[in-house]
Amino acid sequence: MAKLILKNVYKRYDNNKKKNKKQNDYAVNDYSLECKDGEFIGILGPSGCGKTTTLRMIAGLEDITSGDIFIGETKVNDLHPKERHIGLAFEDYALYPPLNVYDNIAFNLRAKKVNEEDIHKEIMRIAPILKVDDLLDSRPVGLSGGQKQRVNIARAIVRKPKLLLLDEPLSHLDGKMRQVLRTEIKRLHKEIKCTTIIVTHDQLEAMSLADRIAIMKDGKLQQFGSPLEVYDNPVNEFVAGFIGEPPMNLMTVDITKQDNELFFDFKGSDVRIGVPKRYQSIVKEGMTVKLGVRPTDLLIGNENSKGSKVKVAVFENLGEERRISIRVGQEFLTLITTEEIRYKQGDIIKLEVNAEKTHLFDIKSGERINP
Amino acid sequence: MAHIELDNITKKFNKVTALNNISLEVKDKEFFVLFGPAGAGKTTILKTIAGIEFPNEGLVKIDKEIVNLIEPAKRNVSMVFENYALYPHISVYDNIASPMRSPLYKKDEEFIKKEVYRVASMMKIDHLMDRLPSQLSNGQRQRVALGRCLVREPNVFLMDEPLAHLDAKLRHFMRAELKEMQSSFNTTTIYVTHDYLEALSLGDRIGIINNGAIEQVGTADEVYYTPANEFVARLIGEPEINIFNVDLVNDNGKLKVNMLGQDRLFQLEDEVIGTLAKHDNEIVDLGIRGTNISYSLGKEDDDYIKGIVYSLEPIGNKSVLIVNVNDELIRLIAPNNLQAKLDSEIYIKIDMKNALFFDSEDKTFIIRNNQERLIKGMA
Amino acid sequence: MDRHRMRILGKIGRNTLLAIYAIFALFPLLWMIIITFKSDTEMYTTTFFFKPTLDNYVEVLLKTNYFKAFLDNIIVSSGAVIISVIVGVPAAYALARYNFKRKEDLAFTILSFRFAPEILVILPLFMIYQQLGIYDTYFGLIWVYQLITLPLLIWVLRGYFEDISVEVEQAAQLDGYSWYHVFWKILLPLIKPGLVASALLSFIFAWNSFTFPLLLNGFKIETVTVASLKYIASDTVHYGQMAVASTIAALPEVILALIIQKHLVRGLSFGAVKG
Repeated sequence: MAKLILKNVYKRYDNNKKKNKKQNDYAVNDYSLECKDGEFIGILGPSGCGKTTTLRMIAGLEDITSGDIFIGETKVNDLHPKERHIGLAFEDYALYPPLNVYDNIAFNLRAKKVNEEDIHKEIMRIAPILKVDDLLDSRPVGLSGGQKQRVNIARAIVRKPKLLLLDEPLSHLDGKMRQVLRTEIKRLHKEIKCTTIIVTHDQLEAMSLADRIAIMKDGKLQQFGSPLEVYDNPVNEFVAGFIGEPPMNLMTVDITKQDNELFFDFKGSDVRIGVPKRYQSIVKEGMTVKLGVRPTDLLIGNENSKGSKVKVAVFENLGEERRISIRVGQEFLTLITTEEIRYKQGDIIKLEVNAEKTHLFDIKSGERINP
Repeated sequence: MAHIELDNITKKFNKVTALNNISLEVKDKEFFVLFGPAGAGKTTILKTIAGIEFPNEGLVKIDKEIVNLIEPAKRNVSMVFENYALYPHISVYDNIASPMRSPLYKKDEEFIKKEVYRVASMMKIDHLMDRLPSQLSNGQRQRVALGRCLVREPNVFLMDEPLAHLDAKLRHFMRAELKEMQSSFNTTTIYVTHDYLEALSLGDRIGIINNGAIEQVGTADEVYYTPANEFVARLIGEPEINIFNVDLVNDNGKLKVNMLGQDRLFQLEDEVIGTLAKHDNEIVDLGIRGTNISYSLGKEDDDYIKGIVYSLEPIGNKSVLIVNVNDELIRLIAPNNLQAKLDSEIYIKIDMKNALFFDSEDKTFIIRNNQERLIKGMA
Repeated sequence: MDRHRMRILGKIGRNTLLAIYAIFALFPLLWMIIITFKSDTEMYTTTFFFKPTLDNYVEVLLKTNYFKAFLDNIIVSSGAVIISVIVGVPAAYALARYNFKRKEDLAFTILSFRFAPEILVILPLFMIYQQLGIYDTYFGLIWVYQLITLPLLIWVLRGYFEDISVEVEQAAQLDGYSWYHVFWKILLPLIKPGLVASALLSFIFAWNSFTFPLLLNGFKIETVTVASLKYIASDTVHYGQMAVASTIAALPEVILALIIQKHLVRGLSFGAVKG
């Protein structure tokens, strides 16, 4: 295992058909990242953000337009993929259909002319970890999605790579299998202690597996931090809305003054929330900002509450939690609680917010406004 | 609006039995959800009601009238297909207008224009009227398909996984929108989904189906708090309910539970003791949801059981903690800032007040505490 | 930088190969057009520089029955394609939508019409045609041309119908439309690209057909392909005149193909409807 360093990496695809080459035509734009030895890193972003391109550059399947990539102490920019000592598990498994599981895993060891005895020892070592030891004689065609993925990963790690790259490992699995494999990958990482990079568009996958998450958009790194950090302290509107399910409530609000108190006034409705103390000094009457608050941080006030009165548009009892949706213009403000309460459409409740857990973002740039 | 009945419907495709002697009743103006895993037969039921599929046996009735031999066009049902089935060569406006231009349901163009725009603004697609389906995103196509279904006034709305291909954000939004609109539907609706959140949220009643047979029909509270069997219990709820064998032991005349390899015997609620005592088996299955299990780093009281941390997965506003107790993996909910090393020691406590009991042989539901109050919708 | 140079070299190499191939492919056509203007006497003695003459054109167009042959070709080829469309579209629909015993066998049989070389079947056909009295008739030729035009149409259109999800038809039924309306207003517009492309390709195949018209026709009906044989005289081959006949015969299909060349590829690849 080794640490991974990306320094100011750029990637541009040369497209001759374009008559006017735009200045910002980069698929990956000034990307820098430093991962510790043995860390589990998630590269997360919507489709088209450049995450797969980044993965391919780390693996050596794509050229780097400029910048450097180090695996351990070695600069790997011009190294062929097979010289980089990485294990790559493809998104669509790419198992060799005519070979059985054992031969699939043994394939690249045999290509490296490792002798059969050593190959056998290695496979017998990792097969039980990935729970494929009773599948060694089967062919890929008879395996379930989850089983294929385990073989895929076994094949990637059997060479004891310095770096393990997983490309959207859970995206083609259904709900239950996804949960099972999520737990297994996490335990696998603990067992083999290999620096692992997972690339995904599913924030749940990244949150549950990674030690730290690198969030990307349009080729640029947005934030790099632990799951709790990106959840509690998103640096901009995009990260705030991308992480967390159900997503954070992000609404445009005007700052208004009433009775000498400052309020967040939701556009398109008469819902108001008092401005928390820590923002009092930085917002002014007449400003417009983007307010972000997670559904679990919206609260129902009791009879003495001074929160503004709102009408319940939708009440959902979803077993483990209750969700209340409140109409604000064209959108909904969503509130989630685990309390055993029941409401109906049309009921009036008092809305309060957990003051510590509100976020403000600049209306133009989307950047976080810090108190 | 109409009353829909399926009487003993059996449907086979070649050798495969898709529907096995199913009987179902949907009341007038009810919003009925058909819920089950993929391949259970939900879409087949919808198509049988619509008349697109013909049952091998059994009767389909709309408003007490047998409609088996009536063509789909004449049954006056409106359907949203899972893959939208939009007409690719005409605009969004024409797609939504199409049901009102057919020979059977023809309306004049003035009326059509009004109705199309009414539905389009409800679906928030009024700015897309001139586009072709191929120029729309998945979410927009979904809403056009819904619009085409809702623009009519049929006997029944049939909706086949209408939110399935939307991204998570849009799905939550559309689900809330649909629920808000429900009260204005005024039409019997049968809604198919494999997402339990949609089922619990939208259904007046939920029909749970598996392998062509109905497992349970009930309100959201009924299927969540008193699932008919272990299959239903596992289907609903996140994380999945924990179910494991326990022994019923007579401890000085009082019935207690021996579980998870512990020496100590655990108390049962008085309400359940009576029924369990009458139960033949000494082994039953105990089901407990992750929200009804607490954890602690130390043994707080005698009811805490020692285990080993198997996995800790933060998922936003909470974490899923999996604890290995005596080789049984127990899933529970923990706060999102919990730090616990894998394979370290931890203690869990099961809230027996919320335990469900199942027969360990046929997996059917026996009893739980507080049954009556819970299914009446009270905490 | 090495990769950059390689890329440029690669480009030059590719373009050179393409240019060579283009010359190889187009040269015969060009030559044919050139010799239409050459008199027989200069045929073997000159290459590119000669005294152009319109004699060949005059001979062929004004002094022989060329236009009749051209017309015959149009009648027979269009007739064949029209019949194939009328029969082929429903057949393709049936193969795409319904399941019946030996369906794939039937589909393969239809496709196999194209496998058999025409020479193989021509003798029995000749005798059958004589018996039935349809030797040397438009009807007879159009009928036998189905062997050429029908398989392609059915094969392409079957793919198109299969690509249209059956739910679109079901949705139309639920909307209240009769099957007839569904077919004309919904299905046909969606298979149009495939229909046009395969109909056109079938037309070209029928137009070029040689063996069938040669042996199943006498004097009454003469296609352009057969008519070209006339220029092989007892003593010499009038290449110039033959070239004129061929050039004019090729004109319709070249023009048609050029007009729809974009649609030809798109139309012949399945995938009319996505999702």
